[in-house]
Amino acid sequence: MDFDDSPDEAAYRERVRTLLAEHAGELLHLAPGQEGVDARRHEAEMRRTQRVLAEGGLVGVTWPREYGGQGGTLVQQAIVAQELARARVPGLINHIGIGMCGPTVIAHGSQDQRDRYLARLLRADDVWCQLFSEPASGSDLAALRTTAVRDGEDWVVNGQKVWTTLAHVADFGILLTRTDPDRPKHAGLTMFVVDMHAPGVTVRPLRQMGGQSDFNEVFFDDVRIPDAERLGEPGEGWRVALTTLMNERVAIGGAGGDIGLPVEALVEHARERLPALDPDRQVLARQAVGRAVVAALAARYTGYRRLTVLSQGGIPGPEASAGKLAGTEAARLVADAGVRLLGDDAVYAATADGDDRWQRTQSWLPGIAIAGGTDQVLRNILGERVLGLPPEPRSDKTAPFSGGTR
Amino acid sequence: MNFDLDDDQRDIAAGARDFFTGSASPAAARGGLEGGRPEPGRKALADIGFLGITVPEAAGGSGRPLLDLAVVAEQGGAVLAGPSLVTAARAAVLLADQPELAAQLADGSVAFAVLDGPVDGSSPSVDAADATLFLGLDGGDLVVGEGEVVPGRPLDATRGLASVRLTSRRVLVADAGELWARARQVGAVVMAAEDLGGAERCVQLGVAYAQEREAFGRRIGSYQAVKHMLVDAWAGVDQLRSLVWWSAWAADAAPAELPLAASAAKAHAATAFERAAGTLIQVHGGIGFTWEHDAHLFWRRAKVDRLLLGDEAEHLDAVARLAVAGALGR
Repeated sequence: MDFDDSPDEAAYRERVRTLLAEHAGELLHLAPGQEGVDARRHEAEMRRTQRVLAEGGLVGVTWPREYGGQGGTLVQQAIVAQELARARVPGLINHIGIGMCGPTVIAHGSQDQRDRYLARLLRADDVWCQLFSEPASGSDLAALRTTAVRDGEDWVVNGQKVWTTLAHVADFGILLTRTDPDRPKHAGLTMFVVDMHAPGVTVRPLRQMGGQSDFNEVFFDDVRIPDAERLGEPGEGWRVALTTLMNERVAIGGAGGDIGLPVEALVEHARERLPALDPDRQVLARQAVGRAVVAALAARYTGYRRLTVLSQGGIPGPEASAGKLAGTEAARLVADAGVRLLGDDAVYAATADGDDRWQRTQSWLPGIAIAGGTDQVLRNILGERVLGLPPEPRSDKTAPFSGGTR
Repeated sequence: MNFDLDDDQRDIAAGARDFFTGSASPAAARGGLEGGRPEPGRKALADIGFLGITVPEAAGGSGRPLLDLAVVAEQGGAVLAGPSLVTAARAAVLLADQPELAAQLADGSVAFAVLDGPVDGSSPSVDAADATLFLGLDGGDLVVGEGEVVPGRPLDATRGLASVRLTSRRVLVADAGELWARARQVGAVVMAAEDLGGAERCVQLGVAYAQEREAFGRRIGSYQAVKHMLVDAWAGVDQLRSLVWWSAWAADAAPAELPLAASAAKAHAATAFERAAGTLIQVHGGIGFTWEHDAHLFWRRAKVDRLLLGDEAEHLDAVARLAVAGALGR
């Protein structure tokens, strides 16, 4: 047991550090206290940053070489993520493309699609989004209603998607549609690559409870998609979507990365703020800080265990869901402790000097507990696939979707 | 990065599982509440070498790292074994420079207990009820002596809790505050390891019951209300394992990380074990509330352990203070 880099890993880390230092002038960096970048306002810089990193071999680390990746390990991927954070380079604009859409194209796309899309995706020449959720199908994704109807060499798509992160800057998306409503809900789906600039695609930003607009609703009105842009066979869309979703849970919290603000930020905040509280409040604040630190470290070290399994050739299992669940809970405790440390300012959206990161994080986390599998869906997955508990009886799996049992 | 047990440690765990399942059981813990002795007992633990795992080889021990002892302690915790390996681990730290006493600890010829609180009237201390020689902190010095033992009525008989007033004392180490603190941290790690074993067993028993018990026409584990309760208990156990391994590893490999890691593990153990034991009773319904069922024996252990060697609030405070002081670690 050890937490050190192996000689190979240390050499790789050094290479990453050198590269980030050499290209520092071309990369976007977070200002002190800033923890994210708005893709709406900084699209060009974010695309440039990813392109520079891609040219240095730091994007698509685990992707196979034949598709423009580095054929590297998940540990190398984690090292890149750590070093990007350390260098204060913000998350990649195409994180959904790299984590979810690309792997889906690799697994189910034609060679022609792979050739046309993957290299451009890695360089952020094209930004990708994932068009799955709909107003009437969130957790129950297979209940989606957006239709694709065959018309000659094309499919014609009508419907609405929602909660689509990055749709406002995206060039392409992977789109899950219903192509056969007379089959049971999971059996009548088909996946496509859609050109987000095609006629009939309308993107409208949604404003979240915290005031930001990270995601969108997307309308499809008679959008024509060539049959060559299908991913997998007609009716196989659910199986294709599972590839995407499995990659998503690994991408979000599966390997111990912090969700929200890192616990180190809370500790630094506590160091500054604790002395300003009166002694009775300090006692209570330390309880909150201690609880948050323990939760964050428990999630982080559990992630290290998962990463160890993956680095020894294991495949990501349903346990990855536990990483997201625990990481979300830890992030809530961290944000809550951060807000409490503000004393009287805790009730305002920002402190007198304009710092709003704790309140902003607090108002962002309810979304994390929903996105990519709600806390409750994740508990179902863990209960059934890790603990082996029986599933709830369902009436919607075998009847035709059009029959009304949805 | 290699955060996993190695093959040796897996073998040690498997051997310990065989030993403990053959020599201790919740039934013995129940018997303890009615006057029986803890099992497997000190002699059996000494004979198989568990009391000396962290005692130096020169003093008759195995000279192994704390992580080895922690994986053994987990297996003992799963069957509510007694006496606790907390005492062996803690005494081994305190007796690091006392080879004769350490040898007696390792071979079980002397029944040691480590006293918490003042030696003229200690707090309830683990395994003190059956001990004959006591280690305590007296005015900053580490002392050893005999004492008058006042057992209380146990909530959990397997912990051998008693208060002790030393009747003789000899200074082993003057100005031993740091040594004492380290021994207590090591004790907290091993108790968290025993709690890990107990809590995991609670989840296993709860899951097994939820897979077979039927209500309203289907197995109760299919209801989300029951399923999610068990998942939360499991997740707490899974995370506790990470903190136990990290803190036990740190004791030898990264001593500067031990204080924060040990407090994190002990604080997390307190709630994870309580939740698992509470869930075990709730999932079983009425049968889980009976004297005959094992559930309350785990629950008793959880309710006692959460308060020993510092409760959750004390350890959360320690984590916050240490982190703010710059000891957050990797």
